[in-house]
Amino acid sequence: MASRQYATFEVADQLFGLDVANVQEVLSFHEYTPVPLAPRSVGGLFNLRGQVIAAVDLRVQLGLPPRDFEGPAMNVIVRTEEESVSLLVDRIGEVVELDDEAFEPPPDTLTGPSRDLITGAFKLDTRLMLALDTARAVQTSTADGNDE
Amino acid sequence: MDELGDIVQEFLVESHENLDQLDRDLVALEQQPGSRELLSSIFRTIHTIKGTSGFLAFNRLERVTHVGENLLARLRDGTQVMTPETTDTLLRMVDVVRTLLAAIEETGAEGEVDVEGVIAAVTSCIDSGDGAGAKAVAAPGGPASPTAASPAAASAGAAATAPAAGPAITEPPAAVVGAAVVGAAVVGAGAAPEAGAETTPEASAGGPAAIEAVAQASSVEVSPLEAVAEPAPDAPVATAPAGSVDDEHGPGQARRSIADSSIRVDVDLLDKLMNLVGELVLTRNQMLRAVNASSDATLARTGQRLNLITSELQEGVMKTRMQAIDHLWSKLPRVVRDLSSSVGKQVRLAMEGRETELDRSLLEAVKDPLTHLVRNAVDHGIEAPADRVAAGKAAEGVLTLRAYHEGGHVIVEVADDGKGMDPDRIAAVAVKRGLLTRDQVAHMERREILNLVFKPGFSTADKVTNVSGRGVGMDVVKTNIERIGGAVDVESTQGEGTTWRLTIPLTLAIIQALTVECGTERYAIPQVAVHELVYLDGQNGRVIEHAMGAQVYRLRGKLLPLVRLDETLGLPARSGDRDVYVAVLQADGRRFGLVVDRVLNTEEVVVKALSSRFKEIGMYAGATLLGDGRVALILDVPALARRAHLNVGAVERAQAEIDAQTRGAGDAVDRLLIAGVGDRRVAIPLDMVTRLEEFPLERFERVGAREVVQYRDQILPVLRLAQLLGVYSAAEDEATSVPVVVYTERGRSVALAVDRIVDIVEDVVDAKRDFGDDGLMGSAVIQQRVTELLDVRRAIMAADPRFDADADTDAGYDIEQTMMVGA
Repeated sequence: MASRQYATFEVADQLFGLDVANVQEVLSFHEYTPVPLAPRSVGGLFNLRGQVIAAVDLRVQLGLPPRDFEGPAMNVIVRTEEESVSLLVDRIGEVVELDDEAFEPPPDTLTGPSRDLITGAFKLDTRLMLALDTARAVQTSTADGNDE
Repeated sequence: MDELGDIVQEFLVESHENLDQLDRDLVALEQQPGSRELLSSIFRTIHTIKGTSGFLAFNRLERVTHVGENLLARLRDGTQVMTPETTDTLLRMVDVVRTLLAAIEETGAEGEVDVEGVIAAVTSCIDSGDGAGAKAVAAPGGPASPTAASPAAASAGAAATAPAAGPAITEPPAAVVGAAVVGAAVVGAGAAPEAGAETTPEASAGGPAAIEAVAQASSVEVSPLEAVAEPAPDAPVATAPAGSVDDEHGPGQARRSIADSSIRVDVDLLDKLMNLVGELVLTRNQMLRAVNASSDATLARTGQRLNLITSELQEGVMKTRMQAIDHLWSKLPRVVRDLSSSVGKQVRLAMEGRETELDRSLLEAVKDPLTHLVRNAVDHGIEAPADRVAAGKAAEGVLTLRAYHEGGHVIVEVADDGKGMDPDRIAAVAVKRGLLTRDQVAHMERREILNLVFKPGFSTADKVTNVSGRGVGMDVVKTNIERIGGAVDVESTQGEGTTWRLTIPLTLAIIQALTVECGTERYAIPQVAVHELVYLDGQNGRVIEHAMGAQVYRLRGKLLPLVRLDETLGLPARSGDRDVYVAVLQADGRRFGLVVDRVLNTEEVVVKALSSRFKEIGMYAGATLLGDGRVALILDVPALARRAHLNVGAVERAQAEIDAQTRGAGDAVDRLLIAGVGDRRVAIPLDMVTRLEEFPLERFERVGAREVVQYRDQILPVLRLAQLLGVYSAAEDEATSVPVVVYTERGRSVALAVDRIVDIVEDVVDAKRDFGDDGLMGSAVIQQRVTELLDVRRAIMAADPRFDADADTDAGYDIEQTMMVGA
């Protein structure tokens, strides 16, 4: 049975997962440089060992109000084709190994901005984990992210 | 087959290098037609190509180089005299050789490149030379003897390639052993008899292969073919040609040994090193901050050492990417020669500072703009010989390329002594094209008008030639230079010439930047765009004014359009109209002021590319890491400039009103820097001030009786104004750092140490009274207080009597300097 590893994390008490292969590292950071005029979903820039990384606020991407930047935030650094990008999340979970069998397409009741970011749901023992589409989750230049 | 491929590859690389050399030599030869040295060098190059092409069975190439060689042999031996026609023919031959080499590179064969034409041309050149130089033919042995001697030279050139094909391959171990021992004997140039005897059996065991290997191992050019033809019975024979390398082999040998002492490194690897060093610099900065806060002496020493090593490492790594600008320039003599002869002009190309180094990637980016400027100068700048003579100039125009370092940048100038540009005519064309209105032109400075030539589609050329005049070009030059964080400027005096000046950052990776604060964040502005800084305290006319909704500031009587950084970036407007700083910036030929809350400092920053997701904002040129490790955005000055000129109309109308008011009131306004020394106030004319700095006490060192500071790779003599004025300065005792006014004239600087910088004022200073103090011009009442006016030159003479000797004495104090007055 085919199975995959997912790095999991929580945003607004919902569990999300990303294919581990796309995740570079996870770290906590607290100083972000805001980018004026950037889409609202851009939380800021920070220095990751000499590399300038853009942090994307996953809350905004999911259609929630932006996070406040008091205190450190958790970053899931994902690798995309062009660059490394950070996704700002609330809490980091475990790395879980999931059978493809536990996968289901996104429920029809799921609507709004989050619908586009999600490839499907995994049924865990106690809760659901929504699998994120990496490329879409970090994309900030679309019109709906740029509502300011 | 692969080996052959490698041989061809090496042949191509070497030949291309040789051809570049050839172009230079040929053009140089025209200047000094009799130079045997140059002729020999050219002859050798062609001969090398010929030798190898024969070996590799490139017949066309061989035939072309063969006739070329014949002609060159005659020139070298004085049988025939160099004429412009001869040079043309030789250059043509070089071009055909290039074409052939290109064909070989592409297809591996010579293809159908036509060589008959050039062979005929060269042959006829030889024939006509026969007629002309009949007297010289008295020495018929001339051409023959070099040819006889030449196989040696040819095979020497081929040495790198030949052994691979030779028998060496069949017996590698023997060759290696033999090479090592014999090689040692060769190196011990004295060649002690015993050593020679010892090596003999080894050498013969190795046979010809060993001897060839010697040629390589000792990296001396020997003719392997010669050695093979005459299988050496003993080592001395092998060493003989090596030891007695004749003149002809000289340059080739030098080239080889340069190749031996250097290695090729992937530029990516260097980039990576550069990045790492950038990080190290940041870590060092953080470390030093922590060290300063602690009182541990050992830690402080270690920190200091780390500091030094890091700086040296940074410098070293940056150097690895540097190349002399001569790499670019070496191609230009040919460009100038071909172009000037095709447009019927006489142009001499002069180069100054060809050893000035630039980052490799920048060199590449500067290449096209520079070539364009040179072509433009030959085509438009320099007049036809007849016009020049009519204007009382020498028939031969001079095009000067100049490169030098200035304030963390490399300046490259392209200067001609041609007819110069006529601002009136440029203005007229601009009006005619509808780029500007007559009114706008009337209020523009001469410099601004000249800068119009950088506008797309702008050309004042009367007729379009195939070289230039189509109105494309100058804007491309500008765009290309600005893309790498540089700037272009032009200065021209009618009838005397035009100087194009490119300001180029030293590297792409590290730039000088001014850091400013706006809201809670810091931003970096490339220093190259910053002209000056003004502090607006909201008093004495230093206020923001409004003209039809546009914010402006009166900078020396001219209205400077202002851009508020907070507004532009959509930040909550925090700064009022008072207690703000205006950074006067220039980009796209426009000058404007950027209003920020605070100016922090200038520092070298490492430029990091910004994610493409921020490109569409169009306000940022990149990001950087500041000393504390935080990310700061680098502002895109041209983008801000475009914003500033959205409401240019309103500013211009207001300017017209001001002009109307002030017309007639012709009093020149003096700009003065007021410094405090003890309880006295001293005014220094601001035009003479290049920078204000603050040096920590430990930076002051002593040389003999004089005080000096190290500053930007210079040693500045320090002049303490307190001593000059005989003032007891209380501040000196407690201060940990000293404010310093840096004055620079013609590359020499002096640091004037004061107690404090008080203010900068614009005033009409007239109430001068001369008390005759040394180094003072007199005194005046400025801001209701008596202020002494410093005679900077006399003061400096007191500190550095040689200052005047080195600088030209015609100097007024009107040198224009980018001025930085920072907090």
